Amino acid sequence: MNLFRLAFLNATRNTTRSLLTAGIIVGGTALFIISISWLDGVFNQLLGTASETSGHVRVVTPGYAERAALNPQDENIDDVAPVLAAVRSNSAVTAAYPIIETGGTLSVGDEIGDVFGSVIGAPAEYFLEKADYDAQLVQGRWLEEGKDELVLGYKLAKRTGAKIGDEVVVLGATQDGSMSPVKGTLAGIVRGGGPVDRRVFVDYAKAEYMLDVPNGAMKVIVYGEDFEDAGDLAASLSAMPALSELAIDDWSALPPWSQSVGMMGTIRFVIMFMVAFLAGLGVWNTMMMSVLERTHEIGVLRAMGMTRPGAVFLFLFEGIAIAILGGIGGVIAGVLPTLYMETQGFVYPESIMEKVPFRVPDTLYADLTMEIVVLAFVTALITAVIGTILPALRAASIQPDTAMRRN
Amino acid sequence: MMNRTTLTLLAALLAAPFVAPPPASAEDAAAATPAAEMTVQQILDAIDANMVFESRTTTMTMTVKGKKRDRVFEMISFGRGKDDSAMEYLSPAREKGTKMLKLGDDMWMYMPSVDKVQKISGHMLRQGMMGSDLSYDDMMASDEMAKMYTPKLLGSEDVDGRPAWKIELVANDDTVAYPKRTQWVDKELFIPVKQELFALSGMLVKSWTMSKIMEFEGGRKFPTYMEIVDEVKADSRTILEFGDMTFGVELEDEKFSQRWLERR
Repeated sequence: MNLFRLAFLNATRNTTRSLLTAGIIVGGTALFIISISWLDGVFNQLLGTASETSGHVRVVTPGYAERAALNPQDENIDDVAPVLAAVRSNSAVTAAYPIIETGGTLSVGDEIGDVFGSVIGAPAEYFLEKADYDAQLVQGRWLEEGKDELVLGYKLAKRTGAKIGDEVVVLGATQDGSMSPVKGTLAGIVRGGGPVDRRVFVDYAKAEYMLDVPNGAMKVIVYGEDFEDAGDLAASLSAMPALSELAIDDWSALPPWSQSVGMMGTIRFVIMFMVAFLAGLGVWNTMMMSVLERTHEIGVLRAMGMTRPGAVFLFLFEGIAIAILGGIGGVIAGVLPTLYMETQGFVYPESIMEKVPFRVPDTLYADLTMEIVVLAFVTALITAVIGTILPALRAASIQPDTAMRRN
Repeated sequence: MMNRTTLTLLAALLAAPFVAPPPASAEDAAAATPAAEMTVQQILDAIDANMVFESRTTTMTMTVKGKKRDRVFEMISFGRGKDDSAMEYLSPAREKGTKMLKLGDDMWMYMPSVDKVQKISGHMLRQGMMGSDLSYDDMMASDEMAKMYTPKLLGSEDVDGRPAWKIELVANDDTVAYPKRTQWVDKELFIPVKQELFALSGMLVKSWTMSKIMEFEGGRKFPTYMEIVDEVKADSRTILEFGDMTFGVELEDEKFSQRWLERR
């Protein structure tokens, strides 16, 4: 008990140094909370948005799965109706849609153009209720059933000079590689950043004709209640005999997320390590100064009977006391701005978001959790202990007679 | 003369009928020298005598055998001179009315479903025509490309039990589609019955065989069946069969015009 009291008194003897040490811990803890909350918030938001567009689970042929990055047109599902029926019969599935993704060059007017666009054909329900593309319309309206129309991404419309009402020809290829042109009146222009702005949206029948896959699909995308349960949903679908010959993967196993999830863990670790290292270095520096200044005093205490472990704990407790103070301050300093970022969000410059290879929300928010706060505080304490150990051991190693001779 | 032979091999057989100076018959070309003593140049002259013509019309059936399905295209083709050819797809329904026109080194394709003309150029030239193993570049082979090759007689080999010369053609310009070709020329028929096409790296790109050689008016011999395998594509080959083939026909100028191309 005396050691605790003595440690606390020591901490208040040189207030400037103690405050400096506590300040380092405050900064580290706050930085930890802000950066991890921001990182988690943005990543989860991107995942949520992406999963609404790309589905929670993807069903494709094994051949497609092997070369998915190349989007092999001939590796399609020949007859998609039984696949859809089987998928929808699973009680965990809330929705499933056939999707065709291909590409083509766009032309407006007499000449065949050279602007390349990514063509996506899907049922209206997918476009409107899941991907929410109609909310991103900046001109015109969404596709109407039975009309020979298409919708363009903002960049494609800009590069081709297409106006609402213009006839747009998309020259693509069938699954066999034959030239395959389709045309439609431009009904609307969407602007959603990332790939959305480079897309051509057509109804499913038009995409089916373009790729020459009557009754087929490139993929089936499946939704469950929550994208975080996609792994279970994928496993459940894989176990269905009717789908046994298809490749079924949840979102986390598919690019870019398959790499991103691992990368996020690494980024988190790097942030934690850097914050802990810098804070630990600060604590070690100030505690070492404290030991050097108090060498004579330590010698007296040791001559009066203080044991080596006693000397170690004296400095350790002092470090922990400062760390608790700094940790509390850091939590306050970190939580306040994070709460602001959680409620108000941050609007990214369009120029940055356009480079992101997937659809991103307009405003990004932090995600503050109790886990992050506790983790930050515990890290501060551990850091303080690690930073204090060496100075404390040094203090314990001081011989009383040598120390007392020093002034 | 070798170059005209290469032209013959590619373009004439592919529906691009050529009109060249009236050729002598294969017999005439070969008669002067016994086969065993012919030079590579004389061999190519004899091939020209068979393959080069003033004009031609022919129907063709192109069967593309793919990994998942086979597709059959029927076409009619008209050729005039060494530079001009026109072709129209008759079936299947999806492709019916699609036309291709080659004038000199330029090629266009008319797509009736969107009423558009697409110029075939750049990288498109090396893509498979209608997803087949034949590229548009193969279709456009002409004197200009042929002149880029130097021939070398490698020796004799049997092809399907028949004696043939093995000839190597090496491009003088690496930018051509196939910097090296190897041909096997039937010693009696003076027809290249087989050829292999190589990329700059030396990789075999395509294998091409010609058979069912028929004799036409004036003793002209011509293959009516070809099988092309794109060695880079997996599980794919294309079979080209010639139907009613007539040489030396009168063809109106309108056939080789943009107006014909865009006429529905």
